[in-house]
Amino acid sequence: MSGEIREPPGAAADTRLGWVNRQLVAVVVGSVAVVVTAATLQLSFGAYPVSPLGAWRALADPEVLLSAAAWRAFLLGGRVPNYETATLVVWTIRLPRVLVAVLVGANLAVSGAILQAITRNELASPFVLGVSSGAGLAVLLTVVVFTGLLPLLPLFAAVGGGVAFLLVYAIAWQGGTNPVRLVLAGVIVSSVFGSVQTGLFLLIEDIGLVQSVVAWTTGSLVGADWAQVRMLLPWSVAAVGAALLGARELNVLTLGEETAASLGLSVERVRFLLSGVAVLAAATSVAAAGIVGFVGLVVPHIVRRSVGTDHKRLLVGCVFAGPALLLAADAGARLALSPAQVPVGIVTGILGGPYFLYLMRKHGDFGGFR
Amino acid sequence: MTDGSDRPARDGVLAAEELVLEYPESDGPVIDGVSHAVTEGRVTALVGPNGSGKSTLLRGLSGRLAPRSGSVTLRGRPLDEYGDRERARELARLPQEPAAPDGITVEELAYHGRYPHRGFLDTVDDADVAAVDRALRLVGIDRLRDRPLADLSGGQRRLAWVAMVLAQDADVLLLDEPTTFLDLRHQLAVMDVVRTLREDDETTVVLVLHDIEQAARYADEMVVLRDGGVHATGPPASVLEPALLAEVFGIEAEVDPGRFGPRITPIGPADPTTGS
Repeated sequence: MSGEIREPPGAAADTRLGWVNRQLVAVVVGSVAVVVTAATLQLSFGAYPVSPLGAWRALADPEVLLSAAAWRAFLLGGRVPNYETATLVVWTIRLPRVLVAVLVGANLAVSGAILQAITRNELASPFVLGVSSGAGLAVLLTVVVFTGLLPLLPLFAAVGGGVAFLLVYAIAWQGGTNPVRLVLAGVIVSSVFGSVQTGLFLLIEDIGLVQSVVAWTTGSLVGADWAQVRMLLPWSVAAVGAALLGARELNVLTLGEETAASLGLSVERVRFLLSGVAVLAAATSVAAAGIVGFVGLVVPHIVRRSVGTDHKRLLVGCVFAGPALLLAADAGARLALSPAQVPVGIVTGILGGPYFLYLMRKHGDFGGFR
Repeated sequence: MTDGSDRPARDGVLAAEELVLEYPESDGPVIDGVSHAVTEGRVTALVGPNGSGKSTLLRGLSGRLAPRSGSVTLRGRPLDEYGDRERARELARLPQEPAAPDGITVEELAYHGRYPHRGFLDTVDDADVAAVDRALRLVGIDRLRDRPLADLSGGQRRLAWVAMVLAQDADVLLLDEPTTFLDLRHQLAVMDVVRTLREDDETTVVLVLHDIEQAARYADEMVVLRDGGVHATGPPASVLEPALLAEVFGIEAEVDPGRFGPRITPIGPADPTTGS
């Protein structure tokens, strides 16, 4: 170790684990602590109270953990074998909600990190750029009109989100684009899609369905179960994996188009593929949990402040910090006004709106990347 | 320490043939029918008044701007036949005002120069480390390697960018106004790097320079552009004459042979009738 004194500290940057720095470890450890705390709250509180210890004991129950039948029921659907009530409540009602929060939080944060890099704009996020509202409209259309196509929900959501993103880009494009125009175009597209969404409510005759749809449009994890986990999991793994593989491309893209092209990056193709990944990640979240705002904006920004601009670090940080924020917000949403449940999107909106304002005030140039 | 100028020069490592370049939003071509072959292992300076198309020509030569007609060839092969990374291993361009994200360090920036050399899943190898170390040393900012770019002065930052382009390890280097907005000391530092590259590495350098005298001092060859066409080419001593300065740059000036090439003493704007 000390033999190589001449070796400068960063020379091995990005060999094996050389890219992991102390700040990233701090972000990961802190996020895991928040996730564990919030998960304990979520697993133990509720109509059927379980002690925190009891909740973890139920989770560690070898009868479930090691049961092929149980996992088949969770991951492939089907009947859950009989267990005692506490175990059932924890495993079939409360754990899936925690897992959905984790996956949605990771997806939204990663999606935001990618969108911020490819637009070189700190104010970008799936919510701000209209991806969420496009996906939301597609989901609502599927739920209300084309009910037969429900299994393909994430794909439809991705198409809707992709169309909205392209629209935003087309509106903002004037031989190039800039942060302000992108954000304004996002507002335009979001409000149009939002109106159509609201219009669709009038077509729903079942009042109960209207209420759950309204909760869904603000982003809610109420009633999330293993079906949502099953829907989210493959797409999330694909999107997060693809994002991590593209980390170096994202780094080069943040140097600007000119420099990236001169370094041999196929700017248009890479940007298109990575936008696709970001849209897919955001859209699957929308399909599972509705339109949860601001997670994709706030998390990458906070993580970037501590780990720096390297996207390998940033994305890994987001994969941990996103779930932490969403899970904590959902615990707050579920327990603050208990037994009434506030949609988690309302909590993230209340936290995220002021943060957006703070970002705007901080940047004279409205969120440009430098 | 041999003088590079007595090496046999091979012609045309990078050549433009009847090149016509225009931007989608511009009416009419910015570069209109330029043919020029850049000599290998030499420093070529593109000079000309504002709006004469220097930077545009450089973009065209780098393949960043697709020609409307004509062609650019790199080692005899059309530039658009190269893959993006393949081209970037041979040909590097430093844009005029590159922007880096907040918080990136000098070393991280330099490692980005290795992008075209690394495969999709490759990690940093010894060649990368060596190239980055060498680039930082050559530019003389080794001791700044762990500092964030944002903390540096404008001149140091420019040197960091130059280091990134050097780490790219390309045979042909295109620099767009590398000295503009720098204080004199950093201008000289940048130009010293250019000279070192030419003398030690036989790197071919094409640069856009605003300062004619600087171009005359460091370049082996000057290409004088005017209104999107080549007005004159050749060694600085033969190109820079009072008549050309009046005609192309619109200045009345005296030209004297100096220690480092022709010295230009501007007297005033040339007669307005020739100037416009």
